[in-house]
Amino acid sequence: MLDTYDKSRKKMLFGSAALLTLVLVVILAVKGSTGLQWIASGLTVGSIYALVAMGFSVIYSSTRVINFAQGEFSMLGGMLMYTFASSAGLPVPLAFIISVVIVSLLGAGFERLAVRRLRDSSVITVIIVTIGFSIFLRAVAKWIWGSEPVKIAAFSGEKPVRFLGAAVVPQSFWVFGFTALAVLLAFLFFNRTLIGKGMRAVAANPDAASLVGVSTSTSSLIAWTVAAALGAAAGIIIAPIRFAAYNVGTMLGLKGFAAAILGGLGSAPGAVVGGLTLGVLETITAGVFPSGYKDALAFLILILVLLAWPQGLLGRRQDVMT
Amino acid sequence: MLLRRFRVGTPVVLLALFVALSLTAFGCGTQVQKPKDFYKIGGVLSTSGPAAPLGQPEQRSLMLFEEQINAKGGIDGVKVKFIIEDDESDPAKAAVAINKLIKQENVLAVIGSSSTGATLAMAPVASKEKITQVCCAAGTKITQPVNEWVFRTPPTDSMAITKVLQYLKNTLKVTEIAILHDSNAFGTGGADELQSKAPGYGIQVVAREQYGSTDTDMTAQLTKIKQTPAQALVVWGTNPGPASIAKNMQQLGMTIPYIGSHGIASKKFIELGGPAANGVVFPAGRLLIPSSIPAGSEWRKAVDEFSAAYKKKYGMDIDTYAAHGWDAGLIITDALKRAGNDPIKLRDEIEKTSKLVGIDGIYTYSPTNHDGLNVSDLIMIKIVNGAWTEAKSS
Amino acid sequence: MEKPRGIAETHSYRTLLIVAAFILILPLWARAIPGDVLHMDIVNIMVLAGIYACAVMGLNLLIGYAGQISLGHSAFFGIGAYTTAILCTRYSWFPTWLGMILGAALSGLIGWLVGKPVLRLKGHYLAIATLGLGEIAFILFSQVKGLTGGTVGILNIPPLSIFGLSFDTDLKFFYLVWAIVLVIMLLTFNLVRSRVGRGLRALHSSEVTADAMGINTGSYKVKVFVWSAVLAGLGGALFAHFQLYINPESFVLTLSILFVTMVVIGGMGNLWGGIVGVVVLAFLPSIIQAFPEWIPGLPESLSNFNNYSLVLYGLLLMIFIIFMPKGIAYGLSRGTVFGKSTAGRLLDRIKAYRSTEK
Repeated sequence: MLDTYDKSRKKMLFGSAALLTLVLVVILAVKGSTGLQWIASGLTVGSIYALVAMGFSVIYSSTRVINFAQGEFSMLGGMLMYTFASSAGLPVPLAFIISVVIVSLLGAGFERLAVRRLRDSSVITVIIVTIGFSIFLRAVAKWIWGSEPVKIAAFSGEKPVRFLGAAVVPQSFWVFGFTALAVLLAFLFFNRTLIGKGMRAVAANPDAASLVGVSTSTSSLIAWTVAAALGAAAGIIIAPIRFAAYNVGTMLGLKGFAAAILGGLGSAPGAVVGGLTLGVLETITAGVFPSGYKDALAFLILILVLLAWPQGLLGRRQDVMT
Repeated sequence: MLLRRFRVGTPVVLLALFVALSLTAFGCGTQVQKPKDFYKIGGVLSTSGPAAPLGQPEQRSLMLFEEQINAKGGIDGVKVKFIIEDDESDPAKAAVAINKLIKQENVLAVIGSSSTGATLAMAPVASKEKITQVCCAAGTKITQPVNEWVFRTPPTDSMAITKVLQYLKNTLKVTEIAILHDSNAFGTGGADELQSKAPGYGIQVVAREQYGSTDTDMTAQLTKIKQTPAQALVVWGTNPGPASIAKNMQQLGMTIPYIGSHGIASKKFIELGGPAANGVVFPAGRLLIPSSIPAGSEWRKAVDEFSAAYKKKYGMDIDTYAAHGWDAGLIITDALKRAGNDPIKLRDEIEKTSKLVGIDGIYTYSPTNHDGLNVSDLIMIKIVNGAWTEAKSS
Repeated sequence: MEKPRGIAETHSYRTLLIVAAFILILPLWARAIPGDVLHMDIVNIMVLAGIYACAVMGLNLLIGYAGQISLGHSAFFGIGAYTTAILCTRYSWFPTWLGMILGAALSGLIGWLVGKPVLRLKGHYLAIATLGLGEIAFILFSQVKGLTGGTVGILNIPPLSIFGLSFDTDLKFFYLVWAIVLVIMLLTFNLVRSRVGRGLRALHSSEVTADAMGINTGSYKVKVFVWSAVLAGLGGALFAHFQLYINPESFVLTLSILFVTMVVIGGMGNLWGGIVGVVVLAFLPSIIQAFPEWIPGLPESLSNFNNYSLVLYGLLLMIFIIFMPKGIAYGLSRGTVFGKSTAGRLLDRIKAYRSTEK
């Protein structure tokens, strides 16, 4: 995400977007309105994967850490939204902001207390601490909210919008809108603000960056806060469609990660392309094959991409292989 | 420095400690025999984990049952004590728990578990130790073939399926259905049985799709089903999947009848599904609609009393799982009256249970029937305006 | 990065004997204490611990010695379990000990097939790839109904019988499993002392240097991975013949993470790390659950362990890895439990302060 505008990347970005469009056209041609429905559903769920993937990318770019708890940020966002909007009855925008802020603070807190201490530790150590964090968050959520799913009211009602034989719930448009907004904001932040550009510098070369006065630790803190906020917001937006529960974070995290790998870790447009592609492919798989194997697709893609094309569509090879 | 010695000494020290303790243990003599001042009944329930919505009401019922029976003086003056463990919806933990209850706590019988997987993991232990297990799970494989030590209280999945097929044939009069099921054991087992029994009712299964337990968007599968000539959709799974399906169907404008499983027999389904839940029909015990039980009957009286007591103690309405738990306690203590402190006699007495009025229904067991209930204890319930009413089934 | 060290290598065999003696005596001692005091079936828990230990010891070699990681070892555990379960339930004549061996072997074979390509990845990517493999295995266990019984699983698995001796009680199984564990320990001693072992340690310290020195790092990594898969498969087969019922729910990501946790808490790369970690984590829940019985008067929210057992687990994992990254066994061998971690440095400071005080 922080090296968005290398020339070769630009080519790959357009290339993969073109590929995705081609796939969509083929589906439409072959399957007609059923295909359109699949695409609509696929893009909705894909946008969520994209947002989660962006969270992974932000943290990875600045700290080279894979945050296994990313999915839990989304889960917490949804659960907190339930508490504030549905239970406490606060107006939606206010509840949204409060929930996002709480989760962001959690992310920042974790970064300060745990991640910073382990800066010089082995990869395994860091992996385990984020796994521990995800277990912890999930368990706390279960303790507070119980194990049953909860319902959150859709932002603008449930009446589906129908066009050309496909039906889309209004909440989906919120999802698309937010994803687009997030990408735009990310672009502006990382390319037009000093802090953002500083973070890109740290990602590219931490030593050189600190030589010119960019603080690595602040960069890390901001990355974690932003990723937590993104995750929480994603979880809130999708909750009316998905039902929030203490255990939704796991799958979301895994699939979001698969999307990030597909698009190339460390690339925001990559996260979006990866997420949308995964969402659409997954929905088609459920439609075409025995639907039990749907989840296997994400993991299969994950492994295939890692082995054959580890930099994903838009990433960098040397981070991945020996 | 003392610390340096530990380098070599720690294992030796630990060993010495244990040898010493062993000698002390032997020196203590044989295990102190405690007088039997109450009947201990074990319970392994899923009070946490995915099956918690099942295990928690069951535990609440058993606590209430214990309170009530002891208030009446227990069984011939001997009080009853339930010792309940949580298996966290994990089969391996369920096996460890039943082991502990039998060997450490010396229970007379074990109630559990709430879900089929955990129950099946417990059964070999019950058989080996010759202790009765009364489960609250509905999986068919638990009592088919009959395991001489395992009984159940809930209506079986088979009974629910029979009820559904009867409804489809006699009331809806459809000949082609689609099945959409959860990929877990409950959903898959139910779908398999539906598919094999449907032809016997003149019904053809024209589509069968599945979804993952945590999936929330089934539009892909539903779109496929929409293309088939299915006249009704049978959804077999537990919350929240079926609620999402109801919403998806509304979204796609599908109007064919939605028949659910007994897995959605809780208010949660209505809460999650919202307006989309209206019109959904599912099989469940009569206890959910007390008016479907003849007024003045012993059964009705039991249901009303239980319902009131449960509400008074916990502030919640009863549901089918609360009933499963209560009935398990009832069956065991009823047999205890005749068997006394003998676990093997207890099993024999349970098998002799005849027309015992519980909450789920009226129980009759035999050496070949460890299920207790039958199809007539169930009714079809329809959701109308966010509430349950009895659906006409002929 | 310090060389991982066992409890003073020269004393390893002695420690092994001590542990063996301890295991011999344990059931006698455990059975003598009345149940209302103990509130846990020690032998039963130790059987499960021993079964897990097989998998964890292999994983310990992979993570601690070879410096790799796997978050998908539940897959191999499951392959071992399903292989023996399927063979022994479909063909009632099939000898269970053979089923176990085949389970371990098949697990190793699959470990080789997937390990070769996957071990080219490093760090986080390897972690995620192995995680993905574990998930795919779970899906296959659940979906290939004809073979695995699907989500319902396989019932009525026959108990283990070797040379006519049937292992159908906890006690017999306890001795069998721990005998196996000790044998594996012996094999591990040999491995660690051999050229392969030294090569692994070199690999862990610095893969680049090891490569430069002519050590075939790729091949070593795969070998360790395959060995860890074999051990995990063996553990799974034992599990199947112990619980006598398996279903896919037993072979999920949570199990893989549990294995890794046991390695970490026990002591990565320490010879005894795997066993220490397994025993600690096997008994911890039971001990905490027994607190209310041992210490009357605890408030309800604290005494009902299941409310917060997972919270504790997550916290424990995080705290442990931050303050005691080398695990318990390493600390035991160095004379203090905290070693050179934050807490250890604190202890050192206190000691230094007190010695200057004199």
